[in-house]
Amino acid sequence: MAQETQTRIRALATRRAFLTRFASGIFASLIVPAVASGVLDQVEAAPQEGAGPAPMPELPEGMNGQHPIERMLQDLQRALQKPVDQRRWAMVIDLRKCVGCYACTVACIAENKLPPGIAYRPVITETRGTYPNVSRRFIPRPCMQCENPPCVPVCPVRATWKRPDGIVVINYDQCIGCRYCITACPYAARSFDSGYFYSDFEGGLPQPYESLPSPEYGENRVRRKDTSPVGNVRKCHFCLHRIERGQLPACVLSCMGRATYFGDLNDPQSLVSELASRPNAFRLKEELGTEPKVFYLV
Amino acid sequence: MIATRKVSRRDFLKIAGASAGGLAAMAALGSGFRTLSAHEAQQQQEAGSRVVYTACVMCPAECGLEVHVENGVVSRIYGNIHVPYNSGTVCAKGISGLQLVYSVNRIKYPMIRVGERGEGRFKRVTWEEALDYIATKLIEIKQKYGPESVIMDCGDVTDRDPYYYLFRAFGTPHTVEHGSICDTPRRHGPKLMFGGKRIEPDIMRPVLVRQPDGSLKNDYSYRTRLIIYVGWNPFTATRINYESRGTVEARLAGARIIVIDPAFSNTATKADRWIPIRPGTDADLFAAMLRYILENHRDDDPFRRYIDWSFKEYSQGWEEFEAAFRSWWDKKDPLNGLPYFSLEWAADRTGIDAATIAELAHTFGITKPAALVWGMNGIGHHYNGYVASILGTALNVITGNMEVPGGAIDTELVKSSKGGKTSGGDFLKREVTRIVNGREVKGKIEELHMDGYGDWPAAWDDVVGDYPRRFIEGVTLRYGPFRGHHYPIKAYFIRTGNPVITGSNTQKWIEALTAKDESGNYKVELVVYIDTVFLETGLYADVILPEASSLERMSLSDIYPVHPVLYLRDFVIRPLYESKTPYEICWALARKLYEKGDPDIQPKDFWEKYPTEEDFWNEALKVAPGRPNTGEPLPYPNLPKGYKLLGTPDSLEAGRVQIDDEKKEIRGEPLTVQWLREHHGVAIWPMSWKRFHGGGVLQTDSKKVEFVWDYTVEKDGKIERKGRYSKYNKLIEEAGETPPGIARLGWQKYPATFYWFETRWNPYTNPDYAKYREEYPFQVISGRVHHAMSGTQMVDWLGRLPTEDLWAPLNDERIVEEVIIGENGPTPTGRRVRIPRGTWSIGVIQMNRADGERLGLKTGDLVELETPQGFKTRGKVYLVETIRPGVLRVPLGGGGRFSPGLGKTYVFHDITPNHNALVDPENLSPIMGQPAYGDVIVKIRKIG
Ligand code: SF4
Ligand code: SF4
Ligand code: SF4
Repeated sequence: MAQETQTRIRALATRRAFLTRFASGIFASLIVPAVASGVLDQVEAAPQEGAGPAPMPELPEGMNGQHPIERMLQDLQRALQKPVDQRRWAMVIDLRKCVGCYACTVACIAENKLPPGIAYRPVITETRGTYPNVSRRFIPRPCMQCENPPCVPVCPVRATWKRPDGIVVINYDQCIGCRYCITACPYAARSFDSGYFYSDFEGGLPQPYESLPSPEYGENRVRRKDTSPVGNVRKCHFCLHRIERGQLPACVLSCMGRATYFGDLNDPQSLVSELASRPNAFRLKEELGTEPKVFYLV
Repeated sequence: MIATRKVSRRDFLKIAGASAGGLAAMAALGSGFRTLSAHEAQQQQEAGSRVVYTACVMCPAECGLEVHVENGVVSRIYGNIHVPYNSGTVCAKGISGLQLVYSVNRIKYPMIRVGERGEGRFKRVTWEEALDYIATKLIEIKQKYGPESVIMDCGDVTDRDPYYYLFRAFGTPHTVEHGSICDTPRRHGPKLMFGGKRIEPDIMRPVLVRQPDGSLKNDYSYRTRLIIYVGWNPFTATRINYESRGTVEARLAGARIIVIDPAFSNTATKADRWIPIRPGTDADLFAAMLRYILENHRDDDPFRRYIDWSFKEYSQGWEEFEAAFRSWWDKKDPLNGLPYFSLEWAADRTGIDAATIAELAHTFGITKPAALVWGMNGIGHHYNGYVASILGTALNVITGNMEVPGGAIDTELVKSSKGGKTSGGDFLKREVTRIVNGREVKGKIEELHMDGYGDWPAAWDDVVGDYPRRFIEGVTLRYGPFRGHHYPIKAYFIRTGNPVITGSNTQKWIEALTAKDESGNYKVELVVYIDTVFLETGLYADVILPEASSLERMSLSDIYPVHPVLYLRDFVIRPLYESKTPYEICWALARKLYEKGDPDIQPKDFWEKYPTEEDFWNEALKVAPGRPNTGEPLPYPNLPKGYKLLGTPDSLEAGRVQIDDEKKEIRGEPLTVQWLREHHGVAIWPMSWKRFHGGGVLQTDSKKVEFVWDYTVEKDGKIERKGRYSKYNKLIEEAGETPPGIARLGWQKYPATFYWFETRWNPYTNPDYAKYREEYPFQVISGRVHHAMSGTQMVDWLGRLPTEDLWAPLNDERIVEEVIIGENGPTPTGRRVRIPRGTWSIGVIQMNRADGERLGLKTGDLVELETPQGFKTRGKVYLVETIRPGVLRVPLGGGGRFSPGLGKTYVFHDITPNHNALVDPENLSPIMGQPAYGDVIVKIRKIG
């Protein structure tokens, strides 16, 4: 695809470097307000584009396994060494492990600064049976990042497309808010941003975290009533801004049941490849031929 | 946002594509942004991004967090992967800390009441004015009534130390946390028998383990074969973070999970079996399991070798316990006529059939390693929870499951110590004089305690549920040197707690906080409310102080891992508005008291000793980890076994230590705030198992597991009384007076070994209440809406999320006028907001569908619940298949919330149930005074 989203990353300094460099100044300022103004000079402006990937966590060696996050981060590093078109990002959600806690839902809302009314990753509860023979399962539902995305061809202005690495993205500047794609998506993964703010419901006072730029697509947009993405369609993008700097999607990292896995399907060594090829893996609405890249384990 | 619905198997694929329309947005009718406040603008001037490792306090699980700050604003919250307790995970609530920090419902300034208590009228004052007011009043109260007339209630344990330190220095023994309105009966067994508190399954992974080659590695394997959770719902009440991932991972690794709970909890969704038990009969089930195991155990039959006799190596008194237990077997239950603890007896009472109970006992006996784990809302909330907790502890011990890999661990005994001198314990040893019945008596400050030397001598956690009575009647000491001393309660400080909603009966609390004497003055002359958010109890305060939120203060984690792990709560941002940290508040109040001449507050104990907040917490870290070098594999094979470990993990590892053979202590380099900051915020010492052998981590008098709690030993020709109950029994014998709680049971003193008594307000087990069966056909229990607890429901992200058929978007459409906490307390802003129907989760009454249909009810109907005592509450019923018939479940603290500080949740207080409106204020469980929240029966009436 010709249009390639420029993922502009305002990279973070590595945590470690950060701590050694700033810790004393910042903490001193917090404790002794008198020197608070001094600290501002010590804190560097955000590092510029192009900084390296986030560091690996420093965990003790495993005696009989490896931390799944560590493993996935290594998978991610390997994928990032390859050209974009050779990566195929996928997610595996183990429904046997999902405890229905909504950490992923809220982690995503916080990560992407989503407004009231929009969740990229709702968790659907499905209850069956009659007392006392009842069962319930929780089905987290991010965007499936379909291999054949029905939402893409319907867009009259080509504001949404599939990247070479398989992630279906939206260009907010191009999106005219016609919502055809919402109707076309068989998984209800797209929502319309009607321009609500938490501050609408909080005494009209702006919530500072709402005024922060959203990291989505590395664009650092500050959401305002009159500009994109208000009036656009929005969806899960596998936290593209995070993966491109070597971090896992927010929902994957936070998951309380460790039920969500992420990685490169083109890499047979990756954890997701291993899990997605298990006989108990399935995808939603296979019959539609959309070829989702979100797999569920049952 | 999240659609909760019932679907057929066929619908599954369809629903996954269902519209997210349940998440309909709210429509605001009103203006948009205002400009930033000066303070917020200043915050934003801090350029750049940074990361701070800290500990969450959105709930008491206190997970390790990695918080990102951008330009001075908290931007994102992730789990700290270096903390094995949560291992990088974080719950919905932890992430929402962000919204709480910036909530308009925060208390921003100190305030003083201008109207009557309860009216909610305040005026903004300066810290100087507020502290002056408080200090003047405190000194006056101390002079008139003595410092023991002052209570400092810290709500939750977290970050309490500065308050404990100050108020103990001031001279009161009443420094309190919420323990006794939480679940004390459930902790009783482990405390009596181990000196511990909290038995959890060995499923925290990873754990750091010493390898045969001397290295330390992370163990990721699960060895557990069986976990039985009784009235414990870790997936929703995430008090123990690792039990979410640990349970599902252990199950995939081959463990069987059984959940025994009247409601189909989220934890039950992942169980191999859900057994819906009748509320308040956990002790009956455990007794039948123990009897079955004792009757059917065969040493020579591998299929019936339930008991692992090796437990005798590290225990004492089993024979007496067993004999006392067996002595009930021939007695007949007056209600069902069946022999006690038999399968049929238990089946009749628990509503679980006899075969299932037998199978449960057999499975637990035969499957090893296993853990029997019971919870707060189950055993902790019943009048006789003590019995269940003792039996459950005994079951874990005799089957050989304590402290084996994959078995059960008393986490209280193995977590890192902290606090040390910062909790101010030394101040309690000071000698004071009182005139009692005209006689001058000397004693220690701690001997003035209203529970320990008053009505509740065995209460290890202060009896908060009995405060309302004492606010009204005052305290008369029964035991110890000050026996006969009477004093009133004149000042009540409540910090990060909300007893009006959570501390037993709501009406009783309101009555006590507003009671006046003959001359029209409030009986409790000073009520101070200290918190970040404005909850109901704040409405009854004279002074409101804004405490910094959890991201704005410093302290240490208070968690329940399976081995010592400790991490820092660090400053992420500066305290917003005019809020102060606990240390700042206490030091400022200490200065005021000192200036006004309080002789007990000395600079040498406060600002001269701990001039900065970091100094204070460094002191608290000196006692870490404070556990013996014990178990297998030995944590530090290079250091003497059995000696107490102190100091940083790296100094112990490298042997940079001093060894004190006399004190049996190994002192490495003391852990400090700075050390923690340099190590991702966390200190981790190695795991080991078999920590009961040879004394190990046990904290009983005998350093063994004790099945007898009042016994004598001969030492140097002298007879000494030992055991945890002996201390109280000695007090009782000296005074010749029985504490009222146990007098009610017909006891003279605390029994030396196994005991049994019935719960109250249970028509199915207690003959005194059988008469209510027909007229009051429902038992009411509570569930925990974890993400929207008592003090976090105002947070939008959480307020919307449904939970377990307890908290559901059953709201009607409302146009509400917003209220913020302004300079005059709760203040309407004039802005109106429309909350469309079905978009906001509210507390509901969970009811079995068949019950509801029989009564002609449908989901959403408003009903009134009424107890035999005439206590009432109302709410909407939610008819589901996920609860036992005859049982109603409501969220504790999740309804009837009448503080405007609750944001949008507040406006639904007229259609949501307050569980504690129903609780019998006199039904305080007999040994430790915990309100028996779970012993409630009602009749139901449709009102809309
Ligand atoms: S991958 Fe990122 S955008 Fe997608 S659901 Fe997860 S957190 Fe949200
Ligand atoms: S965070 Fe994980 S366990 Fe929780 S709802 Fe999401 S997928 Fe399920
Ligand atoms: S479980 Fe409690 S402590 Fe842990 S992240 Fe959630 S709210 Fe915070």
